[in-house]
Amino acid sequence: MKKNHSILFCPVAFFCLSIVFSCSPVKYIKPLDKNQHAATISFGGPLIKYGSATIPIPFLVGNYGYGIDSSLTGFASFNITSALFGNFQVELGATKQLLNQKKYIPAVSITPIANIIYRNKEAFKLYPQLAVNAFWEYGKQKNMVYIGLDNWFELAQKRAYEVKQSNHVIFMPTIGHSFTGKKWNFIIEGKIIAPNLSNEKLVVDYETPLKKHGALGVYLGYTRKF
Amino acid sequence: MKKIIFLTLTVLSFTSCLRLDDNLFNPASIKITEYKLDNYTGDLDFRLDVTYQIPDSLIHIFQLSSQAADESKATNIYAIYIGNIDSISSDSVIMYCHGNRDHMDFYWERAKLLANTKTKNRFGVLMIDYRGFGLSEGKPTEKGLYADVDAALKWLKIKGLTNDRLIMYGFSLGSAPATKLSVGDYSMKPAKLLLEAPFASAEVMVQDASGLAMPGIFFTDLQINNAEEIKKVQQPFFWIHGEADDFLNIDTHGAIVYSHYNGIYKEANRIPNAGHGSIPETFGFQNYLNAVGDFITQH
Repeated sequence: MKKNHSILFCPVAFFCLSIVFSCSPVKYIKPLDKNQHAATISFGGPLIKYGSATIPIPFLVGNYGYGIDSSLTGFASFNITSALFGNFQVELGATKQLLNQKKYIPAVSITPIANIIYRNKEAFKLYPQLAVNAFWEYGKQKNMVYIGLDNWFELAQKRAYEVKQSNHVIFMPTIGHSFTGKKWNFIIEGKIIAPNLSNEKLVVDYETPLKKHGALGVYLGYTRKF
Repeated sequence: MKKIIFLTLTVLSFTSCLRLDDNLFNPASIKITEYKLDNYTGDLDFRLDVTYQIPDSLIHIFQLSSQAADESKATNIYAIYIGNIDSISSDSVIMYCHGNRDHMDFYWERAKLLANTKTKNRFGVLMIDYRGFGLSEGKPTEKGLYADVDAALKWLKIKGLTNDRLIMYGFSLGSAPATKLSVGDYSMKPAKLLLEAPFASAEVMVQDASGLAMPGIFFTDLQINNAEEIKKVQQPFFWIHGEADDFLNIDTHGAIVYSHYNGIYKEANRIPNAGHGSIPETFGFQNYLNAVGDFITQH
């Protein structure tokens, strides 16, 4: 019966999730070189059933990053999809490399982000995010494989009508690969969004290997370094 | 150049107007040329057996003219009345506000079922296709929902129905006009309100979908808010919702609406194992009719 009615509000989840979970891959797994600049455009999102098809959410995010030093990169992202809805959404963050790779022992980086969505004085949200990633570079080109955990934090205690906001952390196990060129990177990333949360009894059918939990997100990103 | 890009993106944020409002409505993508009712072969939530059949002489398909206060011209919409039109002046009538999908053929079984409340054709049932649905002209809008149901109430009033014999029933999307027209300044005011699988608000839908407490206005300008409107309802209120509703969660939608009601009488019917569209079937058609009928006749 869900299919009979849910088509109507698929787009709700379609866009609110695109806005909420559009954090990847527009962040840096490995920091840029010192004083290096980079611009990234990213496309993709959670997979949902839309009618009889399974489609990724076509969010679009632009990003600019700067290598503050060789282990610290600051960046800002602008969510273009969100902007089309009249919302001003930016992500401000930094990636700090904590450990260097030692053969098979991966390098580790951490990325705190402030995700800000503003529409008007009454409609403003700040979502802190924290991503921890382990990555391995390999080959001449220094292509990179990474795994990580992205975390979104909901600070609000109440939802609409004073209903208690029960989940305050949405975590997303992530796996990705970066193809590296001299002046560019191409990233493909997959993640399971909120595998701990039931996706039943919602207005949308999420596609996920876990069936009744979470959503599967697929993302592509192209970075130009200069 | 960077400044120009930044300025463009910022301006884009505050001038763009993509909204999800139109997605509230889900009329059939293929236009129909006639109502088929019992001969409809499309998807249905359930199909009744012949014992619920309505004689052809008591099925009336006709057009109404709907015009909101600020509209310059009227929109023709279609309606079906089940019962004897000539006895509306003495009968009680259920105004059935259907859900968001397809058209009246899809909801025919539901309207027919209600026409069997207590005994066959004891209550008249009026159902309309909102503008943009079925054969009705125009494009669905929130404002249009209210205007269209009001046009139906106007017709009932002209036929001699009085407020004390008007029963308002809203299913899913139909819970919005059903609730709104129970309290607002419209052609008639119902004596009782019944809501099946109502939604609380578009904001709750957004929050359910994202799992986060984000403002609905990020995505929609819809003003529909049953959870607030129900606070103004004083008429006896009947709520029925499937506990297994995987479209409008019983706890985040229906239960909120029910808890906000402050009128003279309210009744909750939580139906185990029932989904969004399967309440009458899962509950059992006769159990459903008994619950509805008892509420209408006893409260």
